[in-house]
Amino acid sequence: MALRPLNDDEVLTEMNKMVAFIRQEAMEKAREIRVKADEEFAIEKARLVKQEQQAIDAQYEKKRKGAEVAQKIAQSTLTNKSRLRLLQQREEHLQDLFNSARQLVNDLAQDESRYVQFLEGVIVQGSLQLLEPDVTVHAREQDVEIVTRAAEGASKQYNEISGRTVNVTVEGTLSKDLAGGVKLVSGTSRITLDNTLDERLRLLEDRMLPEIRNNLFGSNPNRKFYS
Amino acid sequence: MSAQQSQSIQTLLEAEKEAAKTVQQARQYRVQKLKDARAQAAKEIEVYKRQKEDEFKAFEASHAGSTQTAQTAVDQETEIKLQEITDAYNKNKDQVVKKLLDRVVLVKPELHRNLKKAQA
Repeated sequence: MALRPLNDDEVLTEMNKMVAFIRQEAMEKAREIRVKADEEFAIEKARLVKQEQQAIDAQYEKKRKGAEVAQKIAQSTLTNKSRLRLLQQREEHLQDLFNSARQLVNDLAQDESRYVQFLEGVIVQGSLQLLEPDVTVHAREQDVEIVTRAAEGASKQYNEISGRTVNVTVEGTLSKDLAGGVKLVSGTSRITLDNTLDERLRLLEDRMLPEIRNNLFGSNPNRKFYS
Repeated sequence: MSAQQSQSIQTLLEAEKEAAKTVQQARQYRVQKLKDARAQAAKEIEVYKRQKEDEFKAFEASHAGSTQTAQTAVDQETEIKLQEITDAYNKNKDQVVKKLLDRVVLVKPELHRNLKKAQA
């Protein structure tokens, strides 16, 4: 430090030094601020971008999953429709088959010897179910004669098998449109047993379904249990 | 003397003012930079989003195509199976009808299993 007052030149020099110092400090501070600003800029930008990117990714992931699920559903619907069509076709064929059978049943009554044998058996079977002493056999008008013959043999067979006797009355009350066979009614008219050809066919249609399926279409490869 | 002093002080004050201005400019620069950050980030995000959208659309288009092919494939298979069913039916139906009719007339009269033949 000067111990005497400064002259003009020295004052000027000192002034310039001070001014330069002030300027220098300002520049440095400004530079610091700018550098920090650039850093913060980069960080902030990266943060914003990353945040939004994650949100967008999540959104599109959800959309994609939705689309995949929709596709799986569509596929499953297709398969289901296809299976239903197959089943429908089988059902149609089955009905067709039953219809042919119902047509042909009408011819069964033509073969006389077989028909008589059948009637005998059927009357015995019915009587064994009824286990009544008195039975009325209803037949078609055109069958009355044959049925009467059959009834005689039938009551003999019934006696042989069960040791009981039955009194058979034949009546021609069944409609002509039926295919054949008989209906048995107990003496007290409380029990009716339908042993006509049509009814028997109907019962068979129902009971033989598994066998028919197997014969027509083969057994199911996916099935595991036959109990 | 005092005129000189006040002139010096004036010079210093002016230098201070200049310095303050410089610093102020730097601070404005900072503020501007932060705004820029947001704007640029938004632009980049836009680009990214559009890219993702295009990816997704491509994925969807390919998927729609596959549904169509799946449909036709399944339909073809179904047709074949339908034909198989009909063929099998035609092959076997007569035999089954005969079986049915035979069983209609087949009678096996039996006494109920709980009963015994009554002795006359």
